[in-house]
Amino acid sequence: MSRFRGPVRRKSDGFVLDLGADETALVRRLTGELRTLLSDPEPTEEALSLIARLFPVAYPDDDEMEAEYQRLMRDELVQSKLATFDVVDDALADKAVIDEGQLVAVMQSINSLRLVLGVMLDVSDEPDADEVAEGFADSPEYALYGYLSWLLEWCVKALTGS
Amino acid sequence: MPNDPMSGRSGHNGVVPTTLEPTQEVEPDVDDRTAPDHPWIVIVWNDPVNLMSYVTFVLQKLFGYSNEKATELMLDVHHKGRAVVANGTREQAEMHVFRLHEHGLWATMEHDGADD
Repeated sequence: MSRFRGPVRRKSDGFVLDLGADETALVRRLTGELRTLLSDPEPTEEALSLIARLFPVAYPDDDEMEAEYQRLMRDELVQSKLATFDVVDDALADKAVIDEGQLVAVMQSINSLRLVLGVMLDVSDEPDADEVAEGFADSPEYALYGYLSWLLEWCVKALTGS
Repeated sequence: MPNDPMSGRSGHNGVVPTTLEPTQEVEPDVDDRTAPDHPWIVIVWNDPVNLMSYVTFVLQKLFGYSNEKATELMLDVHHKGRAVVANGTREQAEMHVFRLHEHGLWATMEHDGADD
């Protein structure tokens, strides 16, 4: 059995993502689904609640300033998140070497997916609560969430050298 | 924040690695003090999804903090529920909040001295 080298590695000229064919297809599919969700001009209430964590309130104490902030910045934030998915597509190409900025964009994408899954699973860190909503402990969504957490941790490790 | 996804899923053994105490008072922190010409503060709040290592990395990257300082702020978020990570003019604070939102952190801003 060869030594496990991790899915994200630093090289002399940048970083490589080495996810394997199945995981690559999976991440592409997930970012594609989130791209569709974020690009919908008339999202349903359900869709809006799924992506709510991607668009936190900036001014919790002032509704007027919050409305103004969202009016000016929300679309820019959507575009920023969509742009990170493009970087993921490039980064997952065979033998692609990416720079630090691209790896950060990949991390942003992965974290966006985790935030959406976190809403679906009702993830909690209350000491007395289960980590995910009842009935989800063995779900594919929770397995995905765990996988993406693991992948994100590897990205941080690669970037910080820790 | 969950703290160690490398060790596998948490929660199945009843030990959740995040121990935010919701009732804990937020103590005045030295970082809450801001210069008079920088009346807006940027706050990062604890949430159950963002990883501790990731939050520390983002704070270093966006604000140029040392690993030590970023870790301290991250732990404040984790244990106290929130930390002031930056201050500045309203425009500067909005830019910081936007960039934190780009990274998926739960960030808000408020006028310094406003009611919490």
